[in-house]
Amino acid sequence: MPTLTINGRSLSVDAANDTPLLWAIREQLQMTGTKFGCGAGLCGACTVHVNGEAVRSCQTMVGDVAGKKITTIEGLSAKGDHPLQKAWIAEQVPQCGYCQSGQIMQAASLLAKNSNPTKEEVVAHMDGNLCRCMTYSRIQKAIMRAATEMRTASAAGNERRPT
Amino acid sequence: MNKHVKTITPETSDLSRRSFLVGTAATGLVLGYAGVPGIGEALAAPSNFEPSVWYAISPDGLVTVTCGKADMGQHIASTMAQIVCEELGAKWSDMRVNLASNDPKFNDPVLGAQITGGSWSTMMNFDAMSRAGAAGRMALTEGAAASMGVPAGELAVRDSMIVHAKSKKQMSFADVVKSGKATKTFTPDELKAIKLKTPDQYSMIGVSVPQIDIPSKTNGTAKYGIDVMIPGMAYGAVVTPPVRYGATVKSVDDSDAKKVPGFIKAVTLDDKTQTTTGWVVAVANTYANAKKAAAALKVSYDGGPNAKVSSESLLDEAKRLQKLDDSGQFFVKDGDPNAAFGTAAKVLEAEYTTSINIHAPMEPMNATAEFKGDILHIYSGNQFATRSGAIAAGAAGIDPKFVVMHQMWLGGGFGRRLDADMMVPAVQAAKAVGKPVKVIYTRENDMTMDFSRPLTFQKVKAGVDGDGKLVALSHDVVSAWPTQRWGIPDFLSPSVDKKGPLDAFTVNGADFFYSVPNHHVRAIKNEMAHNATPSGQLRSVAPGWTFWAIESMVDEIAAATNQDPAQFRIALLDGKGKNDGGAQRLRNTLLAAMGLAGYGTKKLPKGEGMGVACVSSQERASASWTACVAHVAVAPSGEVTVKKLTVATDVGTQVHPDNIRAQVEGAAMWGLSLAMYEKATLKDGGIEQTNFDGYTPLRMSQVPEVAIAVIANGEKATGVGEPAVTVIAPAIGNAIFNASGARVRALPITAEAVKAGMKA
Repeated sequence: MPTLTINGRSLSVDAANDTPLLWAIREQLQMTGTKFGCGAGLCGACTVHVNGEAVRSCQTMVGDVAGKKITTIEGLSAKGDHPLQKAWIAEQVPQCGYCQSGQIMQAASLLAKNSNPTKEEVVAHMDGNLCRCMTYSRIQKAIMRAATEMRTASAAGNERRPT
Repeated sequence: MNKHVKTITPETSDLSRRSFLVGTAATGLVLGYAGVPGIGEALAAPSNFEPSVWYAISPDGLVTVTCGKADMGQHIASTMAQIVCEELGAKWSDMRVNLASNDPKFNDPVLGAQITGGSWSTMMNFDAMSRAGAAGRMALTEGAAASMGVPAGELAVRDSMIVHAKSKKQMSFADVVKSGKATKTFTPDELKAIKLKTPDQYSMIGVSVPQIDIPSKTNGTAKYGIDVMIPGMAYGAVVTPPVRYGATVKSVDDSDAKKVPGFIKAVTLDDKTQTTTGWVVAVANTYANAKKAAAALKVSYDGGPNAKVSSESLLDEAKRLQKLDDSGQFFVKDGDPNAAFGTAAKVLEAEYTTSINIHAPMEPMNATAEFKGDILHIYSGNQFATRSGAIAAGAAGIDPKFVVMHQMWLGGGFGRRLDADMMVPAVQAAKAVGKPVKVIYTRENDMTMDFSRPLTFQKVKAGVDGDGKLVALSHDVVSAWPTQRWGIPDFLSPSVDKKGPLDAFTVNGADFFYSVPNHHVRAIKNEMAHNATPSGQLRSVAPGWTFWAIESMVDEIAAATNQDPAQFRIALLDGKGKNDGGAQRLRNTLLAAMGLAGYGTKKLPKGEGMGVACVSSQERASASWTACVAHVAVAPSGEVTVKKLTVATDVGTQVHPDNIRAQVEGAAMWGLSLAMYEKATLKDGGIEQTNFDGYTPLRMSQVPEVAIAVIANGEKATGVGEPAVTVIAPAIGNAIFNASGARVRALPITAEAVKAGMKA
């Protein structure tokens, strides 16, 4: 029975090694924030982090992530207050909301490496994530807002928490 | 709305009226389900104060509004709460939302059914929610007055507090609910007589309050149909035939599927509702195993009558039907265009087409079915609980009154979830294996079995007099009839020529607000398309194709008579006769878009152009006046770059300005996506595109600059989810003509078509 290190916890799943990580997360672990969209790596709704990299969990097999650090939307922050999540609320990004876990996880992998992206870098990084409600312009604004907050927070050091 | 769209049965009509009776909620709760055990799941705790079926206030002061509309991202649940909150006088942070079951008491007060579409919800529920809120405030105020021993008339309500200024006494809503003194009841006449606030008194309507559902959509906690987990449930993966509709299963060989661990059973659907044909469900203990088993099933089919149909044959058939004099029924029959063409100085003719389009919401279709005692529970995000419940019942072979629909957040709707096909395999699989079953479509199932936007063919003929005035227009619209497919007569419209009912949801918009003395519109059903590609209602429905034809043709006429296309439209919007009011609003909206875009104020570089379009989507009686100026650049290769879209829309009253902008922008991007990027094709009876590689909605890199002007002039609130979809394609087509001289008449627009048009 494979064991997954997910959101800081070690959890064993009753799934064959060739089971897509997506379904193990959703059904076995009942973490349903990660969504199924296309099953082919074409839409990004199932995006999670494996060792900090954004990957499509529908294209990642359980057997390939043993011992690696997996993060889902549920584990992105303790209280749903990652700068991106706060920015998503401030910009009122989601409409139906179904793709937004994947959008946020995709964006988080960008900001973790580059907290001062240009618009072009944001578009290039996010272009694999479909939003059928077409909330793209708000997603862009929210990423820029979160980036600003992350830069401000890191400039202020640990003593002053960002508001 | 169409005036004839009212009640589906008299019974539901009674119940929906009853649902307004403040104080009678306790009796209303079980109506329609009396004697059916286990069905009153919406019953609130007895200590709650329920001023109407639409909301309850708990002893802790939280106000939970039950939304009878499907929330697919338009934030309608939050909007309903906002309208209640305005009149109730509650604090916004005290408001919560709940999604209604299919209990008829939650039926739409105007439509008498649970259906979400047409950009109708705000318009049709504004008054009911306002009165429900006001009645609650009055009841709470009287209760507080009794507790405080002061006259109710001296009390003021604000932010969930009831205050007596003179004595400085005050009570919170929670205090009054706990006191049990909020007992006032209202008769329907009393409810109707309540004096509602006037717009100058609003403190909530018109404010962009934080949407209640948004935080849950940033942390993974919002529950969609696909997220439903029932103890002991199994999973179903469907195997669908290569033909969209009409195939039958000849045999199923499950010998390989039996080798898949966790496989339970292959169930061949026996769908008496005729929603699906030739489907098999593979049921297993996990979805991954169900998919493996589905792939291992060897199913042989009889392709049925539509196995040879293609997009080309559908278009050929449409053209054949259009040429026949006795085809179709008249939707508009003003004057005599044929006589007028004879005396016109100039006659133009053009044919416009749109391709098959697929909804493809990000959440693939799914449903979970569970039989519990006599009750069939369906968990699925759905836009048409009234009809879908009946389909689920039909699939189960039980009376619809034994079906409870559990509404979920919808991972996109766009009209797709008006249908109930996904419930059929869930119900029949659950019945066959004796446990709850969640069926999830693969993206391939979802695309190939979509109730798609139909392929359309339109022929428009226009006659212009010697002064360049449009004097005659005849317009034929040939398509499958998506709404006739529902089999609900109330959703059809009588034809002007009394040739029987027609599906107005294929021609709405063609009854425009331009003054044209001789104007005919024929709705022609393409029976071949209707059978081979059962069509559905895709965001904006008919105006998504009728305005493509009309607004392109109006531009063609302006060009042929050397008139500025915007000024030509303004002259046609003279507000005479039946167009009085609407025409002026549309003219003003067009002027607003022109102003915001700087139309005609500057010379554009070579290869660039601007085009205008203006629409009265969705329907004459429910129009949101919308105009667009598109700014494009056209390369010599025919490649089009949309540089900027400027959209103005007159919505009368804004409940939530920020949400209106979000909806208008999303709708405009849908319009762009349909205009430039989305095309499905039929071959050998099947949809050829199976995933987002072959069917390619707009991505972030394709988003142009967008400017939006929302006009709120105090008229009644109108819908915003759809109208902006319809204005984009013609504005872009007209801009392409302005930039390059190429006239495109087929959607989606391709570089090849533009290049060919430039040479011509």
